[in-house]
Amino acid sequence: MSGSRPTPSTTIPASFAATRGWTRRNMLIASGLGLGGAALLGGCGGGDSSGSGASAEPGAVRFGVNEARGSGPAFQRNEAMANAYAAAQGVEVTLNAVDHNTFQESINTYLQGTPDDVFTWFAGYRMSQFAENGLISDVSDLWPVDGMGEAFQQASTAPDGNQYFMPAGYYPWAVFYRKSVFEENGWTAPESADDFDALLQDMDGKGITPFAFAAKDAWAPMGTFDILNMRLNGYDFHMQLTKGEQAWDSPEVRQVFERWAQLLPYHQQNALGRTWQEAATSMANGDCGMYLLGTFVVDGVADVADDLDFFTFPALDDTIGNDALDAPIDGFCVAAGSDNQAAAKAFLQFLGTAEAADAANSEADAPMIAANSNASTEAYGALQKKSAEVVQQASSIAQFLDRDTNADLANTVITAALQDFIRTPDRIDEITTSIQQQAQSILGTS
Amino acid sequence: MSTNTAPAPVEPETPPTNKHAGGTGVLNRKRGTIATVVMAVLAFVWLFPLLWAVYNSFRDYSYTQANGYLSFGGWTLGNYEEAWTRGQFSRTLLNSLYITVPAVLLTLFLSSLVAFVLARFSYRFNLTLLGVFLAANLLPPQALLIPVFRMFRDIPLPSFLSDTGTMLNSFTALVLVNTAFQMGFCAFVLSNYMKTIPHDIYESAELDGASVWRQYWQLTMPLVRPALAALATLQTTWIYNEFFWATVLISRGDKFPVTSALNNLRGQFFADTNLVAAGSVIVALPVIIVFFVLQKQFVSGLTLGSTKG
Repeated sequence: MSGSRPTPSTTIPASFAATRGWTRRNMLIASGLGLGGAALLGGCGGGDSSGSGASAEPGAVRFGVNEARGSGPAFQRNEAMANAYAAAQGVEVTLNAVDHNTFQESINTYLQGTPDDVFTWFAGYRMSQFAENGLISDVSDLWPVDGMGEAFQQASTAPDGNQYFMPAGYYPWAVFYRKSVFEENGWTAPESADDFDALLQDMDGKGITPFAFAAKDAWAPMGTFDILNMRLNGYDFHMQLTKGEQAWDSPEVRQVFERWAQLLPYHQQNALGRTWQEAATSMANGDCGMYLLGTFVVDGVADVADDLDFFTFPALDDTIGNDALDAPIDGFCVAAGSDNQAAAKAFLQFLGTAEAADAANSEADAPMIAANSNASTEAYGALQKKSAEVVQQASSIAQFLDRDTNADLANTVITAALQDFIRTPDRIDEITTSIQQQAQSILGTS
Repeated sequence: MSTNTAPAPVEPETPPTNKHAGGTGVLNRKRGTIATVVMAVLAFVWLFPLLWAVYNSFRDYSYTQANGYLSFGGWTLGNYEEAWTRGQFSRTLLNSLYITVPAVLLTLFLSSLVAFVLARFSYRFNLTLLGVFLAANLLPPQALLIPVFRMFRDIPLPSFLSDTGTMLNSFTALVLVNTAFQMGFCAFVLSNYMKTIPHDIYESAELDGASVWRQYWQLTMPLVRPALAALATLQTTWIYNEFFWATVLISRGDKFPVTSALNNLRGQFFADTNLVAAGSVIVALPVIIVFFVLQKQFVSGLTLGSTKG
């Protein structure tokens, strides 16, 4: 989903981050219609049977890539993996490159129509939903994968206990800052809640807005919600909440919003009209001290990339600590609609190897870390190395709110609710009650 | 476009009012000034975002990011070069051509046949038939999304028309869908226009031994040329701009029309708005060119239809 990786969109949900920002109105409307339609199709489950059972055997495959040709490193990495496989096995890999947002918006029609054999996708609930609908193939015979730990196997497992996914890489969400700005002011990364409060006060006192903040991309504030929920209520509560096993109007969730409301004065004002790129720029030019975002923040402030560093959000409750974080995993699935299951699985198996990761890493830089721990880290930059370290130290990893929960709930309800909260932070009761009511009707829980 | 066409209907009224009322009529000098100012303001409001996008499409992203969009400077043509290659416009513009041209021709041909029958003959079900075509025009395409998608998935096509072997991912599908959805409107406009042709002409033609086909092809079609030109302009714009069906029915990156390819200019996380502006200008150009080339027919076609009817 665009979820953690969406492009700037306004009120349109991350997953639906359609063509926003065109100057021509008709295209805007047309794109809005497009997503409504794609969502509709989600409801008419595919009649395809799952092609599990075939054993992996190399052959020509079609590879669906969610990056447009020539769009930069993300496409080059996928292409490099495909080329490496084609060269090693002597088979043809046909690339179908579609830009990131279009690919996501039309994923339902894609999988029910004429999908490629293997396609790029995301771990978490997003993957599970397709597994339950029989749109992607069971690949549990490829697991366990050499070089991938329990956490990755877990992230690739659907509720039925089988694996449907092959992780490729991931990136953490953390608090980014400019080393030079912190040095100049004698600031250090906060270790505790008290340090954190003192840092906020000091920044505020020096006329620097502590947190850059943007909510025009509706998914962006989810990062703040995730981290506060994990710090205040713990990882287990967070995951239960995303699965509908905890109520959104519970005292725990309200506590998250209350704490957030206390922190809002330390965030940039008028966040609803700002894209993450603009927020990142305010951090880069020193107007703001820090920015909580995924490592892709460097794409927005390439000029000062070398001066960037980050720390994980400090513990707010000592009994809970700070060892949980968002680190969305990207990877690959086999389409159930493909009539080429054996070759698809063989390619999927390759994509999970360290060899594939090395092929990608040597081709192009990206703020991603390879999922396979046997992959070479030589090509990593400082931020990537630190990311790998931080994620390895984390005890629990969430995928990001819009990947961990039902797409409809995340993209139509929670995005709007968070923007509502940012606009009027004193309406916590109404907002949480409203989310809970809609969550019940969407998830069918009580 | 409406800003461009809006003043046109006013023109024929202006000379008579001035003649009759000698400057004190509806559009005397004072009111005329007010009207001009109002229209200028409206035109500005309409044009401003477009001009702003054109302005920024010539500027470097890092410059505007550092100095804000209200600044002046950072001129470059790089956005256009990059947009052209990254958007793969040389291919996607061709894709759009393969979809738009057959769809427009087919729509005009089929709807003129319907319109001819409706206007030339008075069958009992003429009104019903027109009603059916118009009703289909009112039906939102989204409502037909699922049936059309499933139907197209099950219709096989020979491999030279579609490399996936079905209607999905083929230009044929887009041409047919666009034709179907545009026919209602065209049939309506053309039949109204054809009704203005005096019936006597057909009687003379009949006496001279012209078949129905000849009455259609050699008599009616030349006479409705202005209406056809106006519709061709509109249809080209609409079908070229069509985004919904292309996104739903095409899932091959190399088959997208140019409107969908604009999305290629945005990365996974990062969007260079100046680059997107440059791409949008490139994508908008063909439509603007078509409009200016056919502008004369477009306006005269519209007004002729409305006054004679």
